[in-house]
Parts: sequence; structure tokens; C-alpha cells
Amino acid sequence: MSRLECNLLSVQLGSRTLLHGVTTHLEAGELVLLAGRNGAGKSTLMRCLIGALRPNTGAVNLRDRPLLQWEPRARAREVAFVPQDTDVPFDFTGRELVTMGRHPHRGRGEGLREDDVRAVERALELLDANGFADRAVTTLSGGEQRRIAVARALATQAPLLLLDEPTNNLDLEHALQLVALLRGLADEGHGVLVASHDLNLFAPFCDRVVLLHDGRAHVDAPPQEALDEAHIAEVFGVRSRSPQQFFPREFLL
Amino acid sequence: MRRRLPLLLLLALVACALMHLGFARERPGIGGLFAWLFEWTGIPAAPDAGDEFVLGMIRAPRLLVAIFGGAALALAGTVMQATFRNPLASPDVIGTAAGAAFGGAIAIVFDLADVAVFVTPLAALVGAVGVTSLVFVLAGSHGRFSVASLLLAGIALNTLFGALTSFVVTFAFDNYTSSSRVLFWLMGGLDARTWQHAWITAAGFVLFGMFVWPRARELDLLTLRDDSAHSLGVDAQRARRTLVWYACGLTATTVANSGGIAFVGLIVPHLARLLVGPAHRVLLPTAALLGAVLMVVSDLGCRLSPPEWNLRLGVVTAIAGSPYFLFLLARQRRGLEL
Repeated sequence: MSRLECNLLSVQLGSRTLLHGVTTHLEAGELVLLAGRNGAGKSTLMRCLIGALRPNTGAVNLRDRPLLQWEPRARAREVAFVPQDTDVPFDFTGRELVTMGRHPHRGRGEGLREDDVRAVERALELLDANGFADRAVTTLSGGEQRRIAVARALATQAPLLLLDEPTNNLDLEHALQLVALLRGLADEGHGVLVASHDLNLFAPFCDRVVLLHDGRAHVDAPPQEALDEAHIAEVFGVRSRSPQQFFPREFLL
Repeated sequence: MRRRLPLLLLLALVACALMHLGFARERPGIGGLFAWLFEWTGIPAAPDAGDEFVLGMIRAPRLLVAIFGGAALALAGTVMQATFRNPLASPDVIGTAAGAAFGGAIAIVFDLADVAVFVTPLAALVGAVGVTSLVFVLAGSHGRFSVASLLLAGIALNTLFGALTSFVVTFAFDNYTSSSRVLFWLMGGLDARTWQHAWITAAGFVLFGMFVWPRARELDLLTLRDDSAHSLGVDAQRARRTLVWYACGLTATTVANSGGIAFVGLIVPHLARLLVGPAHRVLLPTAALLGAVLMVVSDLGCRLSPPEWNLRLGVVTAIAGSPYFLFLLARQRRGLEL
């Protein structure tokens, strides 16, 4: 069973502390929302969780083994990632970009196998991206490029999926479709961690919410508990009502 | 059509190579070329001994330097553009070519070039490797580097070594022979190339090309941002560093044997991308073949031009390349206006 966990993770950049003793985990079968103000450390935590950033102290373990000890392609078969910036400077087609998601499964110089093609087609289908998959990515809208980036992560078929602001640039219909897709993946046994500012959209569907505040894990609990008025006020500095009250799950699906 | 293009380009290269060998302002011409080729392949054709010497000892090595040099520069440019995620990157962007030019200029000005035929190439190679290493040292921090800092350090050292090379040339101005030799070399040219030059250029292309070719898919992934490439199982930092070194090897061996050749490494990858798209599995061979064709045709232009023009190869490739660059600029501007 795939499990990703970090213990007492601290990251310093010069004199700035970006993460301060963060401990959390991602289990198979759950959808977790990572939220917090701008600069709270969400993207830094994500980068640590995929091994792109080495923490100053603390450790990240994948399947109870230090993440940094994993062979890169074996790690990529376990944890997929959609970063915030997904621009590509050359005219690859959407399909070519999604096919890159099969890299962890292919040996050097090895061509595409039938299961690679199937995984790519399935990912494109899930993101409703077949209509523009053969166009150059530089001609696609921001939202279409985003869907291609998510499809590339899905094409890896990794059991754990980390997404940084996946609904950026998406229209309401496709944002809702993506949330439903991520919930569905979690129900099928994937572990999904989403960093997002869109509490209204994700809170009704997630199993846990991790609120980061000034580089610390302020709260790690089910949404009803994590997103109560007190926590929202402390972390975001605003008065609110519980998100489920004004954007119920039934309305979205 | 896209998949067959490398094959078509190979045929075009063979045709250009035959033209390069057989077209000349003096003997041997096409007839002499075929007599030499027939004799060479075992069919008795009794070629003229003088023709045999010119074709076998002068034009053939020159042709091979053009083919492998053009292919190497185009390959290096393609690798640089992918690793720097920048379509305007080229083999000289991190100072490799400037270092090679400086090393070669030193060897010529201090009369070391006459000691042996390989001294100028060797000095150029040392200059290229030295400057590239310096760029990595200056751009790195705790063994890691960003693409932007590598580019900035490269531009700074490119300018510095360009200025130092100019100083070396003006320093030697009193000695007309060596200053004209170094100027000719800096402008790039394939005259007086021997089989030693040909073997060194071919070996550089085969050696470094052999390392680049199997990494075509990694090059695709490096055009994504580091985090994306990392999440797909590529150690982006290490891959970028290794591939930049291969590109430096390709550039250094070419500049060492043919001087400064402008635009091939910048323009050819663009042309190849327009023809076959950005996927490196097809792009790499296409760019290499296109680079070879461009270099052979440009060198043929040099050879056929009146001798009093003193036309240099680097000048021809720049004159051929600049209009294309302006075309790209115009197209981009049109795109912005739409």
C-alpha cells in the first residue's frame, strides 16, 4: 500500500524559514487538501514530497523508505506531480506531452508498447482532452494546457498524485470535472494531495485538510474541523462560514 | 513524410557531397571525380594522378570536416536549446566557442600552430573545456545551478573571452602573417584541411553524438521545467550538466578544426523543428543531416567564389543564416499583432 509521509520537515532559504517542522502524510484512498495563504509553504512542501527539494532537517518516506534513496524512475512510478507552472517552450502536441508521462515505465531507447498507448489514451479521455490532443501545446489556452499537464501525471499510473493549483485557468465546468475525477481516483484507491486556494471547490470532497500557516502545519483534520471559523480566521485573517454550508457537495455533482 | 525526412536528407547530403567533390573552378571536375570514384570502388577507370591527389588529399578531407562539423554544430545547438529550454540558445551561449577561439588564437599568434597540425585544435579544445568549466564553477552553488545563472555566467565569459581574443589579434598586428592567419581562422574556413583534421572532427561527432543519441527522450523531458522532469524520473540537474558537456565536446572539436562558424548551431535546430517537430528522436538526426548539408553547400560556395574575394565559411553561413533569423522575427511579430 502506497504511503507518503514527512516528519518534522524544515526548509530554510538563506535566513528565511519556508517550512518549520511539518509532519503530515498521504495514504492510498484519500483526497487531501493542502491550503494556506500565499507564501505559506504549500509549493515548498510539495517539492519536498516529490524529492525535488532536499529539506534541511526532517525526512520524507515513501512506503517506509527514505524518498531520496529511491531510484528516480521507480519513485516516478509511485508519485506523480503536476506543478504550478507547466509552460513548454517548444511546439510539442498535447499527445506527445502526455506520452512523456510514460517515461518512468520505458527503458532507454525503448519504443511505445501497447499498454503505454492505452494509458495515454485513457488519461486524455479522463481529462476530456482528445479534442485538442494533436494540436501544438503553444496554441492551446491556459486551461487546455493545464488539462494536458494533469493528463501527463495520470498517464504515469502512479498510485499517489500530487497537484499544485490544478484548477488554475480552468473554467467552472472543467474545474468541477477535475474535482470529481480526483475524488473518483481517491475512491479507487489512489492517494491524492491537492494544493489549492479554492476551499469552496475542494473542501466538500476531501477527506482531510492540512492548513499551512507561516511554514507550520496549523491543523491537519477532516474538513468540518479544519475549516471552522476559528481556523479560517487565524490562518487567512477573514471571517467565514463553513464552506460546506454555501457550496454543498450535492450541488456540484 | 516526417519519418522519411531523415532518409531524404541523407540522399540530399550524398548529392551535395558529390557536388562538393566534383564542382570546381579548375580540375578535376565531374569527369575526374567519377574516374576516381570508379577506381576507388575497384572498377578500372585510369584517373589522372594529379586529380587523384586533389580529390583524395585535399577535397575529401575538407568534405568530411564540413559534413561532421556541420552535423556536430547542429546537434550541439539542438541539445543546448532543449537543456536551456530556450529556442535562442546555441553552442556558443555558455562561452565554449569563445574559449575555443581564444585557445586557437593563442596557438596561432605564438607560432605554436606550425609545430604540428593538431596543436591549434588541441589549444582550441583546452580553451573550450577551460571556459565551460569556469562557467559551471561560477554559476553553481553547492553543486547545483539554475539555467538562468548558467546563461548569465556564459554570456559574461563569452564577452570576456571575445574581448581577450580581439586583444590577442591586435597585439599581434605588427606580425602580418600571424595576425592574418588568426583572423582567417576566427572567421571559420575549411581550406588546407588534412585527414588528421577530418579524423578529429569525425571522432568528436561520433563519440559525443553516440552519447547524445540514446538520450533523445530525456531531452524531450528537459524542455519541461525541472520539477516536472524530476517527477517523471529524470535527475534534471545532472542530465542538464552532462548534456551541456556533450554539446561542448561537439562544439569544441568542430571549432578546433574549422574555426568560428556562425549560425549553424542556432538556425539549423529551428529549421529541423519546423520540418519534423520538437520530439528529439527524429529531431536529432534531422538537425545533424541538415547541419551537414548546410555546411557542405556553404563550403562549396566558398570554393567556387573568386579567390580574390577571400570568402570565409563563417561569413557564408552568417549571410545565409541572418535572413532566416529576420524571417523568424517577422513571423513572431506578426503573431503578436494578430
